[in-house]
Amino acid sequence: MNNDVVVAITDLRKEYADSVALNGVSLTVRAGEAVAVMGPSGSGKSTLLNMIAGLDRPTSGSVVVHGTDLGSLDETGLALFRRRGIGMIFQFFNLLDDLSALDNVALAAQLTGTPASQARKRALELFGELGISNRRNIYPARLSGGERQRVAVARALMNRPALLLADEPTGALDSRSGEQVMDLLLDLNQIGQTLLLVTHDERLATRCASRVVEVVDGRIAREQSLERTS
Amino acid sequence: MSAVWSAAWAAVRRRLLQTIVIGVVVCASTATIVMALGLLESAAAPFDRAFATQRGAHLAAAFDPAKTSDDQLRKAAGQTESAGPFAQSTLDTSTGEIFKGTLTVAGRADPGGPVDRLTIWEGRWATAPGEIVLNRAPGGNGRTNLGFQLTVPGRPTLTVVGFAHSVTGSADAWVTPEQVEALQPTVLQMLYRFPNAGTAAEVAEGQKSVTAGLPEGALLGTLSHLTVKDKATSELGVFIPFLLIFGVLGLVVAVLIVANVVSGAVVAGFRHIGMLKALGFTPGQVMAVYLVMVSIPAVAGCVLGTLAGNVFAKPIVQDAVEGFGVTELSFAPWVNAVALLGMPALVISAALVPAIRARRLPAAQAISAGTTAHSGRALRVQRWLSGTPLPRSVSLGLGLPFARLGRSALTLAAVVLGVMTVTLATGVTMSITAYNDAVRPSYADRVEVLAGGPPGLPVMRNPEMGEPPAAALSDADDEKMLRAVPGTAAVMAVSQLETEVAGGTQNATVLFYRGDVSALGPRVLTGHWPDGPGQVAVPSRFLNQRGLSVGDTITVQAKENRTQLKIVGVVLTNNEDQIFADWTALNVLAPGTRAHAYQVKFTPGTDRASFTAAIGKGDPGLRVLPPRDGSSSTAVIIISASVVLTLVLGAVAALGVFNTVVLNARERRRDLGMLKSIGMTPRQVTVLLSTSMGALGLVGGLVGMPVGVAVHQLLVPAMAHAGQADAVDILMDVYHAPALALLALAGVVIAVLGALVPARGAAHLSIATVLHNE
Repeated sequence: MNNDVVVAITDLRKEYADSVALNGVSLTVRAGEAVAVMGPSGSGKSTLLNMIAGLDRPTSGSVVVHGTDLGSLDETGLALFRRRGIGMIFQFFNLLDDLSALDNVALAAQLTGTPASQARKRALELFGELGISNRRNIYPARLSGGERQRVAVARALMNRPALLLADEPTGALDSRSGEQVMDLLLDLNQIGQTLLLVTHDERLATRCASRVVEVVDGRIAREQSLERTS
Repeated sequence: MSAVWSAAWAAVRRRLLQTIVIGVVVCASTATIVMALGLLESAAAPFDRAFATQRGAHLAAAFDPAKTSDDQLRKAAGQTESAGPFAQSTLDTSTGEIFKGTLTVAGRADPGGPVDRLTIWEGRWATAPGEIVLNRAPGGNGRTNLGFQLTVPGRPTLTVVGFAHSVTGSADAWVTPEQVEALQPTVLQMLYRFPNAGTAAEVAEGQKSVTAGLPEGALLGTLSHLTVKDKATSELGVFIPFLLIFGVLGLVVAVLIVANVVSGAVVAGFRHIGMLKALGFTPGQVMAVYLVMVSIPAVAGCVLGTLAGNVFAKPIVQDAVEGFGVTELSFAPWVNAVALLGMPALVISAALVPAIRARRLPAAQAISAGTTAHSGRALRVQRWLSGTPLPRSVSLGLGLPFARLGRSALTLAAVVLGVMTVTLATGVTMSITAYNDAVRPSYADRVEVLAGGPPGLPVMRNPEMGEPPAAALSDADDEKMLRAVPGTAAVMAVSQLETEVAGGTQNATVLFYRGDVSALGPRVLTGHWPDGPGQVAVPSRFLNQRGLSVGDTITVQAKENRTQLKIVGVVLTNNEDQIFADWTALNVLAPGTRAHAYQVKFTPGTDRASFTAAIGKGDPGLRVLPPRDGSSSTAVIIISASVVLTLVLGAVAALGVFNTVVLNARERRRDLGMLKSIGMTPRQVTVLLSTSMGALGLVGGLVGMPVGVAVHQLLVPAMAHAGQADAVDILMDVYHAPALALLALAGVVIAVLGALVPARGAAHLSIATVLHNE
């Protein structure tokens, strides 16, 4: 395993008006790792993911991703960081309904200034790698849940991010589709993609992750390295 | 509190921004409508009321006593309601203590009678020799009060014993029939009321019947009540078509935006509708919730708009109707009633279609419905745009309007109307400015030089101005001197005579020009400039207000001389009581009269101060007037109203865009959050949403601009007709290519300004909140 640090979180605290979501969390993720963050609802795991993705700002503490302290970035800086530095997969896919599957994926590259033709070419490559080439011109409303999540994964990988973040990636899928997505994530990690998952699903964690971090009441209660089941 | 009210009130509070938008839009539109309707009502009502009360004369006619008699006139009138004949004299007060112009004085035994029942509002009627009653509108002020003694050389001294008002304007003053004989009457006045007198043709028919059988040449002149009314309401009349158009525009924009807001509220509230139905609300109650939700801000906006309309319109209307002596103006109840009842009714009508949609929506469908529509057209457009080389935020924005075609169409219509308003108001402003420059030139290229007081008028002494002008040189030498001043390009000499035009109280000033009239005189619109004695050119308002046309002859009386003048041309000027004649006519009417003023045009580049100094050196008795202020109160009011109404309706259109972006951003929260999550910057989100409206703005500009030009071409002639001015090319030909290009871009400006604030708000949405609250 590569020892390069991709994510370094130090003494992270996030307060809301009447609650503390994270309280003194420190965590390191190294390149090539697959880390699963688990915990009960309201434990703070999604908040932790938001901090790493630069979607929200901590009350105190620091988040450094690829050597960049996210606290030093303004809104535009954070957007540019998300564009190049990370890929995100969501529970509910978050695809644009009025773009075809291919255009949804190409969009991520086009935002970086890549011409439409090149972006579509790269998207087609990913569609081929993920086994959904025949669905490229279909609109999200007519795709199955598993297919939508594969499109979302393709979009996340479009700009070759160093870190792939997944928030309950199988939470909205039936068991068969969930299995397919798990296989996909595992495959990605095995070819070197650093992965950080937030999940309730113990099967997903044990199958895909090399390390599990358990968050309870805003603190890391336990960390455990795993032998993958597959 | 009923369930419907509770649910509606909760919806109002939850959609506070849209509630405010509806309220502001309705308020602005109602205020505009109130102003327009109030002006329309006030323009006619004071005259009509006073005319009915006084049984005003449909026709005032002046007869030559040398050619007809009292008995002949009474006999000719037959069964027609009439008053008179009243002997009528003309008093020239120019040499009196207070100048009151040429007074038409009629001898009447009493103020009543079947026609022209005078209202004595101060003092009493003249009942003895030496007493006079002046015609003045109630509440009017003047330098003469009760007891004032009017002294005219060679005539008896007359003491003012009362003030009366004749809405017909049958005379300037009244004395007893015995007294008028001492004033050497020259005319017999008859006043008639006809059974039908609503049109000029009916009045002419009546005139024909009451003058049949009279000797030829007995009738000197007439004055129709239609002319009096036109003259009395003409200034106000200019505003009516203008404000009505803006009022209607305001109304249409308000309806469009309300329809947009309410339909958006229904779409955005699908889940809410489903929940209401799941809770047990009947379809009728759901519809009622949506109608009440819209009615609350509509009623509030309407009440405020009515108040604002009353407050802001009153000063304008008050200025215009003060000639009728109206001191306390209030709009007729129907104006406010129409605004207060009609506007909410319109708003509710606009809300009805989407509310019925809410009523019919099955609960399950409502709860599970998505938030955005995806038509095949929208998808095809997005696919095509994604392949273009445009920045992705721009191409996504351009495709956005196709997702909700109905909403985009309503927004586009609002923008079209906004651009049309801007185009129209700009055109009206340019027309008024150009016309004003033409009829009231600022004389930046010339100086006006006074040689003395106008003949026949008292010398007005102004302590601040020093001694009045008194030319040291003769008229010919002054003109020669002026032509010799370095820089002089043209010289025109001016003199004038105050005259009375036969028929009613119609005074007019005859201006006599000599020299370079083609360079410095008024522009001739039709016919030709007078080129001999007995010829005059007049403004078209002079013709319109007296029912005359080119080729007709008018009878004028100057001092003791009566003469007939033929109208040979129409000139462009705003003063309807000016007649223009050649100098040869002055030599006939008042031989030896010198020019009392000169207009001297100087060549470009000439220093005005040096030029003025050179004139003063040539004849120290001359006085050079300071440059004129070319503005008129009517022009200033119309231009100000244009600016205000443009801003109001432009803002209303921008509010429509604002509302659309708010709705779009709310519906697309998840999409925007996702775009930000994959690296779209806040600036790109702002560009995306602004572009979506900018595209509509561009289309709106390209459609609205020509529509505005077309409406201008219809409206301006109507305004000119109402103001009794000519719809000359000056008024019509105001749009030029650069201005049109800028006006076409007005749509983009309205759209982007309306979109910017909500777009920036959407750009700073919290991604974490949006994406995790599914």
